[in-house]
Amino acid sequence: MQIIIQALLNGILMGAIYGVIALGLSLIFGVMKIINFAHGAFIMIAMFMAFWLWKLVGLEPNLSIFIIAPALFFIGYLTQKYLISGLFKAETAREPIGVLIFTMGLWIFLDNVILMIFGPDFKTITSNYAKSTISIKGDLILPFPLLYAFVISVLSIGIFYLFLKKTTLGKAIRATGQDREAASSLGIDSYRIYNISFGLGLTVVGIGGGLMCPLYYVYPFVGDIFALRSFVIVVLAGIGSIGGALWGGIIVGIIETVGAQYITATYTEVLIFGIFLLIIFIRPSGLFGIENE
Amino acid sequence: MNDAKHEKYQSIGKPITSWKRSPLLFILIFVFLLLPLIITNPFYLSIVILILFYTFLSLSWNVQGGFVGQLSLGHAAYAGIGAYTSTVLFMRLNLSPWIGMWIGGLFAAIIGFAIAYPCTKLRGAYYALGTLAFSLVLKIIIENTNFLGGAGGLVIPLLKTSPLHFQFLDKKYYYYAILLMLIGVIYISYRIMNSRCGYYFRAIRNDEDAAKALGINSIRYKILAAMISAFFTGIAGTFYAQFILFISPERILDPGLSFQIAIMAIIGGRGTIAGPILGAFLLVLTSEITKLLVGGRVMGAELVLYSLVLMVVIRYRPQGVGGLVTEAYSSIGARFKNGRMKAGQYGNS
Repeated sequence: MQIIIQALLNGILMGAIYGVIALGLSLIFGVMKIINFAHGAFIMIAMFMAFWLWKLVGLEPNLSIFIIAPALFFIGYLTQKYLISGLFKAETAREPIGVLIFTMGLWIFLDNVILMIFGPDFKTITSNYAKSTISIKGDLILPFPLLYAFVISVLSIGIFYLFLKKTTLGKAIRATGQDREAASSLGIDSYRIYNISFGLGLTVVGIGGGLMCPLYYVYPFVGDIFALRSFVIVVLAGIGSIGGALWGGIIVGIIETVGAQYITATYTEVLIFGIFLLIIFIRPSGLFGIENE
Repeated sequence: MNDAKHEKYQSIGKPITSWKRSPLLFILIFVFLLLPLIITNPFYLSIVILILFYTFLSLSWNVQGGFVGQLSLGHAAYAGIGAYTSTVLFMRLNLSPWIGMWIGGLFAAIIGFAIAYPCTKLRGAYYALGTLAFSLVLKIIIENTNFLGGAGGLVIPLLKTSPLHFQFLDKKYYYYAILLMLIGVIYISYRIMNSRCGYYFRAIRNDEDAAKALGINSIRYKILAAMISAFFTGIAGTFYAQFILFISPERILDPGLSFQIAIMAIIGGRGTIAGPILGAFLLVLTSEITKLLVGGRVMGAELVLYSLVLMVVIRYRPQGVGGLVTEAYSSIGARFKNGRMKAGQYGNS
């Protein structure tokens, strides 16, 4: 029983980080209707930034995310503005395949450039912070970075939710996601909104990647695992659903950790993809999505 | 009258308008038939064989991804099924892979049906993710099946030179095998493209709702395209198994292979025949030449270059590079016909 509770707790805490990472994908998917296949590469870049900020400056990941998140905003903003935007203008289809292939290219490019520069070695943050734990009631032991990551993840998702619901810019982003033409006719510059959305999508990726860094090892292809998780979570939760991303993340996190107590890790993977397929066939709008489109 | 109508329909979304009468095609076939006489080094010939293998895969993908426009990202599953089926039949029942490859293709087509049928409702990105998930599940299952060698894969027993068992010591026989397969798939693609079925495919790609309104059973044709595509991909899987003599989930069932197959066809120009061929040549050559030059000293260099080519092409020619070549070819052809061929005019077209 003790083990199950421990696993459940780990799953929930880890799931929240999955959620915040998936939120970045969900936002870009929801507003721009493209799957950002470079998602994993950006997670990896955030993790590398967190690692090197610790290694070179000694900044712990709990603080460095405040540098990484804005940095990734600019990376995202500029990527969209100078690389992807032109493709959007060239294609008129609602789900531009060209953009999808471009992000695939960007993914391979970023992964391998990092491989060329830093090599394939696994790196870990070995500070006292990364190793610190908290024990609850004496029996349950939780890594402090995990707990901290959970709190920050839930907070960021909350802030993000309020931002999209309450501010003018947030409303403009949602309007563009729902109907680009109608939004444009109301005077919203949809390409600017795309730039900002891509930037914001990567901001949360930066937060998630930075938080994940002390809990995992860092290597050039580390993002691929989390990117696959993110795809599953986004579809599970429903595209564009902010709160859904958190719940979806927690569901996947629990399946992973609790499932590992009963079946082998590879079959939890099958279980996760099985649930994913079930959702897209039975309820393509996701568990928490709104039934439209 | 009928002929004129036919011509008119042919021009819709068709890149090369006069393939049948094109002298270029015969020159190309001739060159490729004689190629092993020029390239005798087995190492270089292997690279050419790999290029033709990827061209075959990309044309197979094109039947579904290009003609009908369904973005499948799970084609590695079909290649894997083909490779594993023929290999297991060969190892357990001693059945020649020449026969096994057809069984593998059929089996891949059946799995293609099993994947395509539930996926028919999905569109665009969802279809891509659905097929990706299916192929991942299959990969994990095979990785955990001891009967199929698990994650370690299967080594195909070497019988030295045994043409009856699809095994040759001289690489040039593999070359001719894949060349023959390639000519076959080009011919069949061409026939599909110009058949009633091909028009239905294109109608579905351009506007599925409109096609449905015209009475086309879009679900049936989407599944049919998926099955044809899976069949050929499965056959390619057998070729791979016999050529490399080793298969493992990491090599033949990996999503990376699925991505590569789709990327080659899209870069070249999906929905055309010349496109996927050009795309495969461009990308495989880029990465193989880089590998030769860098020689593994810098990890990932060939993929960096590969992805750069990919991004530049998609950025400036979103419809693929195939268009460039056919435009150039037809404009040169037109000039020859009109007798106005002048030096230096190439650059202006």
